[in-house]
Amino acid sequence: MLRLREIHAGYGATPILFGVSLEIRAGEAVALLGRNGMGKTTLMKAVMGFLRPWRGTIEFDGRLLTGLTPHEIARLGVGFVPENRRIFPGLTVRENLELGLSAAPRPSAALRRQRLEEVFQHFPRLRERLDQLGQTLSGGEQQMLAIARVMMAGARIILMDEPTQGLAPALVRHIRQMIQELKRLGVTVLLVEQNARMALNVCDRGYIMEKGLIVFEGPAKELRESPVTREKLGV
Amino acid sequence: MSSARSWPALVVLAALAALPLTPFMTKYYMLLGFDALLFGAVAMSLDLLMGYTGLVSFGHAAFFGLGAYATAVLLERGVLSLWLGLGFAVLVVGLYALIVAYFATTRRGIYFALLTLVFAEVVYTFFRYTQTFGGSDGIQGLPAPYLWPGLAIDTPARNYYLILAYLALAYAACRVLVGSHFGRVLVAIRENEDRARFLGYNVQRYKMGVCVISALLTGLGGALYPGRAAYATPDLMLWTVSGELIIMVMIGGLGTLVGPVIGGAFFIILQEKVSSYVDWYFIVIGLVLIAIVLFMPRGLFGLRRLLTLRPWRATA
Repeated sequence: MLRLREIHAGYGATPILFGVSLEIRAGEAVALLGRNGMGKTTLMKAVMGFLRPWRGTIEFDGRLLTGLTPHEIARLGVGFVPENRRIFPGLTVRENLELGLSAAPRPSAALRRQRLEEVFQHFPRLRERLDQLGQTLSGGEQQMLAIARVMMAGARIILMDEPTQGLAPALVRHIRQMIQELKRLGVTVLLVEQNARMALNVCDRGYIMEKGLIVFEGPAKELRESPVTREKLGV
Repeated sequence: MSSARSWPALVVLAALAALPLTPFMTKYYMLLGFDALLFGAVAMSLDLLMGYTGLVSFGHAAFFGLGAYATAVLLERGVLSLWLGLGFAVLVVGLYALIVAYFATTRRGIYFALLTLVFAEVVYTFFRYTQTFGGSDGIQGLPAPYLWPGLAIDTPARNYYLILAYLALAYAACRVLVGSHFGRVLVAIRENEDRARFLGYNVQRYKMGVCVISALLTGLGGALYPGRAAYATPDLMLWTVSGELIIMVMIGGLGTLVGPVIGGAFFIILQEKVSSYVDWYFIVIGLVLIAIVLFMPRGLFGLRRLLTLRPWRATA
């Protein structure tokens, strides 16, 4: 579904990625692991079109993404849940959610209601908070909202950049449940994480990145048990 | 705009409409009122960019001036219909705004502001230093336009009501706009442009859209100016005018629509009153502005919270 081949990229003259290849099949949840500064976020930016790769290709459902703009990529069904302050703090929960409907330029009231109902089934908490400003939500709720917003768009693949960063253990569990829920719905997930234990518990496969390269890959079970994982990630 | 929430605006509108009936409103005050409401409305149009989208335009004077010249050129040639003048202004300002917006929205922040300024200075220089449209004198001694043959806008009172109608319509248009999906996307762009991008929004197109809308509202305001002043001069396009518009938005209250109307009116009246006493009026105005920025960070319109104590959203 999403295939990266030999991606080289960087900022200015500084190379960050040295030929990264990876593949995610439809319906899979894949973890991309690695310590800080290894190029995980850069890779996400390249997929979303915020950074143009120097070399290599990115394909989504057979379509070349390299060279497209972020909004074109988003409209093809690639959803992005970025790290940290993830929502529009000055807009209400409802407004944040409705902004997710960008794929339909003039979303009909029926479509809006239908998608909202779908979202509330999975995140009943958001229904209670509907008219609250985004900035008044807790960290976990903001993360929920960011994921729900991507679901509103009808994304077929969701890229998540460190969703558990800075969240309490109970919320980490909650995020994990959300990812499982997404998988159940048939949404493909690329999860970028530092929390390898959580990621490998919820994902089917994993890649480990080091200094701009994929240094190890395999089924999640294999990664969980491999000494390489411990060596590379220190877990 | 729900009817429940529009009643304060309607009350203010009714009060402004009743104002000329009071004995206090001499011709002088009628024209001062014209200027106050006109610049209030123009500042409000700029607020669509500054307050809602987070774009600072340093070239709004050019939109205003081009609108003024559009009607002035027609009036000079004996085309007195206000509607033709407004239509011509929409055409001229719209084309110019499309060009400016196309280039300026490719850049962010200070570069956007600088590009709008540079474009405006080019327009100013053309009108000021070539004789095509009268050079530094501009176009003088214009006849009054008419709404329809027989109803000329030739008295201060008629001009006042015309500008009041323009303000009311422009306000309604802005209110609808910021309450729409389009308006939500603008706020999203202001809060985080990249975030709006990866949600699938063509950010540049939205920015261009709001630039052109803001420019057209400003240009329409400018188009009404020669009817009141009987001239159009390049001074209307001076970069200091763009700066004053930004100040009006700031002192009124960013991102509130109503605030910039108050800010514009306040600025015009303060300027007129102080300058009639002293030549160094800008020092006084400057001190007042500094005080407002320091002690009323939400602008003059933020003061209403002292009256109501109701929770209030800057982005609503």
